[in-house]
Amino acid sequence: MAISQNGRAAWRDGKPPAAQFICGSGRGPAAFAPLSGAERTGVFMDLMEKLTILADSAKYDVACTSSGVDRGGAPGALGSCHAPGICHTFTADGRCLSLLKVLMTNICAYDCRYCINRRSEDRPRAAFTPEELAELTIQFYRRNYIEGLFLSSAVLVSPDYTMERMIRVLELLRGPHRFRGYIHAKTIPGADPALVRRIGLLADRLSVNIELPSEASLQLLAPDKQRAGILRPMGLIARTAAENRRELAVYRHAPAFAPAGQSTQMIVGASPESDYQILQLTEGLYQKYSLKRVFFSAYIPVCQDERLPALDTKPPLLREHRLYQADWLLRYYQFSAGEILSPEAPNFDPWLDPKCNWALHHLDQFPVDVERCSYEMLLRVPGIGPKSARRIRTARRHGRLGLEDLRRIGVVLRRARYFILCRGYAGPGRLSRVTVARALLDPGLFEAGVQQLSLFDDPAGRLTGPDSPALPAAAAGEEAAAWLAQRM
Amino acid sequence: MACAADVVYQYDGSFEGFLSCVFESFLRKEIPFALYPDRAVRPTLFPVRVIPTNPARAARVFDSFEKKLGTRTRDLVTRAFLNDSPDKELILLRFLHFAYGQGPRAPWMQGHERVAPVLELEKAVNGEAHLLTGFVRFEQRGGALGAVIQPRHFVLPLLRRHFCNRYPGEDFVIWDKNHQAVLAVRQGRAEYLELAANPDLPPPDPEEARFQAMWQSFYDALAIPARLNPTLRRTHCPKRYWACMTELRDQL
Repeated sequence: MAISQNGRAAWRDGKPPAAQFICGSGRGPAAFAPLSGAERTGVFMDLMEKLTILADSAKYDVACTSSGVDRGGAPGALGSCHAPGICHTFTADGRCLSLLKVLMTNICAYDCRYCINRRSEDRPRAAFTPEELAELTIQFYRRNYIEGLFLSSAVLVSPDYTMERMIRVLELLRGPHRFRGYIHAKTIPGADPALVRRIGLLADRLSVNIELPSEASLQLLAPDKQRAGILRPMGLIARTAAENRRELAVYRHAPAFAPAGQSTQMIVGASPESDYQILQLTEGLYQKYSLKRVFFSAYIPVCQDERLPALDTKPPLLREHRLYQADWLLRYYQFSAGEILSPEAPNFDPWLDPKCNWALHHLDQFPVDVERCSYEMLLRVPGIGPKSARRIRTARRHGRLGLEDLRRIGVVLRRARYFILCRGYAGPGRLSRVTVARALLDPGLFEAGVQQLSLFDDPAGRLTGPDSPALPAAAAGEEAAAWLAQRM
Repeated sequence: MACAADVVYQYDGSFEGFLSCVFESFLRKEIPFALYPDRAVRPTLFPVRVIPTNPARAARVFDSFEKKLGTRTRDLVTRAFLNDSPDKELILLRFLHFAYGQGPRAPWMQGHERVAPVLELEKAVNGEAHLLTGFVRFEQRGGALGAVIQPRHFVLPLLRRHFCNRYPGEDFVIWDKNHQAVLAVRQGRAEYLELAANPDLPPPDPEEARFQAMWQSFYDALAIPARLNPTLRRTHCPKRYWACMTELRDQL
């Protein structure tokens, strides 16, 4: 059977994509035009080898969360979902591993500068057949290795063709295998909206990677991708999900479209955007496309290119960490991007986390009385997080709260004591900013093994890489305090 | 108002036994110096009073939890009792003496010195149970899936609900090595067994090694060398779990 380049014809008939889209299943190369030589080798490769190659290609995808949907098991089916998500193991770099994160194939038609799977890169290529990937997922899931599947793919032949193959895997899982576990699928930019709708009905979470924080960087580094091409599917997913929520309100059994929402990811440190720009973009994405998560990925040089940072650049891990802290402030602490950073101070402080930084610059709003202030204000006190804020809110209805009570509730008094009043504690009295700043210094920075940051770099490169030798923790702490004092 | 008594209660270590101790303590209006289960009796200078397990008294106490203290307290006490800390009984007893005075609002006074330690006990149990829902590794052995765990707290009852829900069609066995207990699920029916000796499980299926090798290579492939951070990994996945995890066993 002849297959059109984008394979859309089968969909118009309203039939599910038949086996014609599967590239071989061990019985030999099917009568199948778009198979490249590289892919044909992929078909006959040992499953173990494929898994290694395709996992290795997928590892730079950050998101590995299995959160956002609660779905109990069902008789005769396999699997369930737990809304907070479950981590099944942690890799040597300390990242949670909860999904079988693989690419369908790493044979790519695109040539993005920053990507290891780009067409012009010489590396081993492989492709899963939908059957073997579905079977592998089930076998891993039964052994409790994983919470589900994270399926992404390089663009093989065309976006539509790639999506059809991914959909085939999901259909096998949800259909014959009756799999009720978590599925996170990456939509391929440029794919037909019908395919995006179809995959959304099978997957729990969808994501489209925004890749780089600005149009200009995208043009420079990923010439095959357009910003509009990325934002269009994102908007489509957001609209379809909103429609679906209305449907579900009327018909309880309407099929759910991506019930765990959508997420995205961008690379930090490959292009010159400031933290302020990135955070503004993040906030915009949350508001406009109602994303569940925005992930940041510190740029790790994998390709030599004059337009990219040099190969020996260290990944800007601290900057990534600060961005996640700010992201938490947006999602859980009711901050807005404009409060965290501003055009005048467009980058994060290396020594202070963004919340402490905000508090230091708004000392006029403190101290607050934890027994009567609003929940929103509780959230802004350094040393009080959403959990302890909620506990305080409940506990203060039932009795007075003193410092000891707060400590038992989980408040970090080492930080919070400069910002609060409570029973038997009339606040810190008159304090210099420096004393407070010293108490707020990010403790994680001075643990053994963490390298000292250079204070005198240019602002753009400030958080990108610790080049200076490691100082002993105490000395580094002192230096930081002195620097903060100077700045106040 | 109960007063501190120079006496040590000894009970059989079961939840019913503990509830009988609670009854005894309220009956005599005293809070003992300590409560020891049979298996962990420590030498003490105080007189030891052995409290026999009395199902009728235990039932009376348990029913009163919901009636007088609310469902939250009932669940809190039941959950916190799964903790393996040596002074959990005393913490719970002191909390109950406080709670009967306060009524249903007691568990919400989260900063109180009698309440906060109980919440800590519960948090530790919940935390470990949650970690293990991810860290349990099954092996295909004969017709069933088998797993070994070495948890600090007795979390099998919490794992039962999760795994029965997740694998409705599977038979599986989870062996808690530290508490010498087994959770066996056959055709949807779960039972707990206390073990005197190590159970003899059927050997792993021949196909098992292949999947374990694939899982291992997948795990190894996913680490990014430029971001290596063993401390972070240990923080999230403490080494005491590694012995039972397929992919980390060899790194111990």
